[in-house]
Amino acid sequence: MDALTRIVLETAEPSGFFATVWAWLLKTWTSLKLDFINNFVTGNRYKYILKGLGVTFTVTFFATLIGIALGVIVAIIRSSHDKLDDELHPGLGKTVLGILDNISRVYLTVIRGTPTVVQLMIAYFIIWKSSNNKILIATLAFGINSGAYVAEIIRSGIMSIDPGQFEAGRSLGLNYIQTMAYIIIPQALKTVLPALANEFIVLIKETSISGYVGLEDLSKGGDIIRSLSYSAYMPLIAVALIYLVIVMFFTKLVSLLERRLRNSER
Amino acid sequence: MSADNDVLISVKDLCKHYNGGAIKALDGISTDIRKGEVVVVIGPSGSGKSTFLRSLNLLERPTSGSIIFKGEDLLSAKTDINKLRQKMGMVFQHFNLFPHLTIKRNMTLAPMKILGLSAEDAEKRCKDLLARVNLADRIDSYPSQLSGGQKQRIAIVRALMMEPEVMLFDEPTSALDPEMVGEVLEVMKQLADGGMTMVCVTHEMGFAREVGTRVIFMDQGKILEENTPEQIFTNPQNDRLKAFLNKVL
Ligand SMILES: Nc1ncnc2c1ncn2[C@@H]1O[C@H](COP(=O)(O)OP(=O)(O)OP(=O)(O)O)[C@@H](O)[C@H]1O
Ligand SMILES: [Mg+2]
Repeated sequence: MDALTRIVLETAEPSGFFATVWAWLLKTWTSLKLDFINNFVTGNRYKYILKGLGVTFTVTFFATLIGIALGVIVAIIRSSHDKLDDELHPGLGKTVLGILDNISRVYLTVIRGTPTVVQLMIAYFIIWKSSNNKILIATLAFGINSGAYVAEIIRSGIMSIDPGQFEAGRSLGLNYIQTMAYIIIPQALKTVLPALANEFIVLIKETSISGYVGLEDLSKGGDIIRSLSYSAYMPLIAVALIYLVIVMFFTKLVSLLERRLRNSER
Repeated sequence: MSADNDVLISVKDLCKHYNGGAIKALDGISTDIRKGEVVVVIGPSGSGKSTFLRSLNLLERPTSGSIIFKGEDLLSAKTDINKLRQKMGMVFQHFNLFPHLTIKRNMTLAPMKILGLSAEDAEKRCKDLLARVNLADRIDSYPSQLSGGQKQRIAIVRALMMEPEVMLFDEPTSALDPEMVGEVLEVMKQLADGGMTMVCVTHEMGFAREVGTRVIFMDQGKILEENTPEQIFTNPQNDRLKAFLNKVL
């Protein structure tokens, strides 16, 4: 036995070292278990997470639908204003379109120029203060917010379509609305579908501010558990992990969708 | 009088200016297009051929002048431009088929939505026309599955679905591989033989000479000479036309 090995053996004291590690592991495990029970099992606290998850999904899903509907309308108004300016003769139609275009511009500027959390609070405490349906108000607020971003996505999609498509539709005698509905919008939506799906993913995370108006979504659920259990570590990490898993799942879905679209017709 | 009754499109002093008049794409164009005529428009690049053609169905809105189509002033606020466009088929250099729709849907969409044709009637018309251009078997294909020549033949019959009274062609063969030019010109020739009124912008001088009933030579937004193909090609008067023909023939 050489000198070096002897020194290592003597100082390391293998049996003593492993015992220490074992004791530490045991202690940590026990405390984690207690922590887990304290945070999720006692008083069925896990239900805050489950219910919150349901609320997060409900709000995100319906807000996305509202956002897409609103976004399509605003995008069409904005691009129609540009495209029809040449064609329309002065009159009622042109005036109405001009007014709608101005309303759309204000909407886009205000929504994209103010924090979402402030919009949410204004929706809850001012605009719909007589209502107490938090889920509905949050859905509307996030939907209206998302609509502004969706509108710009769809507008970019409309602008990316070859002008020849529009001209072909019009030269067949289709009117402006028919050309948009049957030819331009379907192609535009197809090109921006991945971007729209991303908007859904963004919204999942964005709804985590729902707690500001007392809506018990996933984040708020974790926060409530923290205040009941007086331990922050486990509920917050759990909430973060759940968001992460959901976002990773949908991101994967979007990339599959993108690949499908790229391989399909065209 | 009887000659005037034959006039389908009457164009007077048509101007199209860009950049506040700095660019005169059309600089006072006047001509009449009669029923059954095959008018071929030739001229150097940038001479305003496309602008002229696209003005005829108002894809381009003229700065001044008048276009009377079947007695209706196209530029009047009261004219329903969508109605008049149904009577003017247009074929583009880049086909502009709708990539998200099948050939059948490409062809039946407008007749069903505008003319109110039933699905069966539209499909029947579609099949008849496809048979005429030997593409009956491609009815359920998507445009991306077709060759350039096939696409352009589809684009022509798509326009014919609306039973137009005049067909406008803007360089229909310029984007095609040389071996596919013939099949498209053949369809156009058939159409002319069937009595269709046509206005064609093209660089195919053979087609102009063989199928055209009148040739218009344009340069710098003006019509410099118009005559029968015979006269234009064998006895050109204008110097710029002579120079142009020397280059292309
Ligand atoms: N949107 C525009 N803005 C400014 N100038 C334009 C515009 N469109 C066309 N022009 C100009 O008008 C003139 C006529 O163009 P046009 O496309 O009608 O020519 P053309 O005879 O069809 O040429 P080509 O054989 O290359 O197709 C050109 O000088 C062109 O640069
Ligand atoms: Mg041109």
